[in-house]
Amino acid sequence: MGRPRGFDEAEVVRAAVVLFANRAYDGVSVDELVSHLGVHRNSLYKTFGSKRGLYLAALRWCLNEEVPTLIAEIERAEDATAAFQRLTTSMAWAGMDLLLLAAVERAPVDREVALEVKRALNSLDEAVQRRRGSGQAAEIMRSPLGFTATLLGLRLRVRAAVLTAESGAPTLRHGPHPS
Amino acid sequence: MSKVHVEGDELIVEIEGLDKLWALKSRLVIPLANVRGATADPGIVKESKGLRAPGTHVPGVITAGTFTLDGERVFWDVHDAAKALVIELADERYSRLIVEVADPRATVALIENSLPHV
Repeated sequence: MGRPRGFDEAEVVRAAVVLFANRAYDGVSVDELVSHLGVHRNSLYKTFGSKRGLYLAALRWCLNEEVPTLIAEIERAEDATAAFQRLTTSMAWAGMDLLLLAAVERAPVDREVALEVKRALNSLDEAVQRRRGSGQAAEIMRSPLGFTATLLGLRLRVRAAVLTAESGAPTLRHGPHPS
Repeated sequence: MSKVHVEGDELIVEIEGLDKLWALKSRLVIPLANVRGATADPGIVKESKGLRAPGTHVPGVITAGTFTLDGERVFWDVHDAAKALVIELADERYSRLIVEVADPRATVALIENSLPHV
């Protein structure tokens, strides 16, 4: 094999987000990383140190780049239903799916991952906390923990329903309504 | 086969049995501060090994010893690809150690959990 080729680190990390957001951590082999990300194996090790190093970079990228997008959605949503609707179908969910998977499978066994997940969930809670003070917030926004938990739960249901849904995000039609 | 363990703030890699002969090395001691991470990577044996200097390379049977690829010095000791473990280093004689261990997953956890920070 030739010399390690140059590559755009940010682009590789973004591609890794998509890969790790859709598959269990242990289910992604280095062979797959090399072929999906288009990076020489040596470069991968040299740049990220390990598969876990790349995973952490992907997780941090989505927490730094995509959580703020979700927070902006929360801040401008007219009510909780609209917030849930927008958030669970937001493009930023590619990264948030990684957060979901990280919370389920890696956070319990990896302290660094646990800290990043905690940071993300806290910043979502704080966004709801700020939003609820603005007057028009619905009942569910009075409980930031409940809002974030519902949000994650709804996204989980949207993901679970992808193959059986006729269109769109079916769970949202029956989603919690603040009344 | 190699045995990997952590003693204090050092990572110890012991080369076992006849592999000491093939690899011309019996033990590597690396400060944990110079360990960047560890990955179970069965696919790495398919990669080019580079130039052997010195060591043993019988394709499909054993890769052991020091190899140089793209200016990096890599230590190999692998018979069974399924148990290959990649340990990435910084500021060391070797850029990377690729060794065979009995339980790659447990060894990855051992190393990653011993690292001071990421």
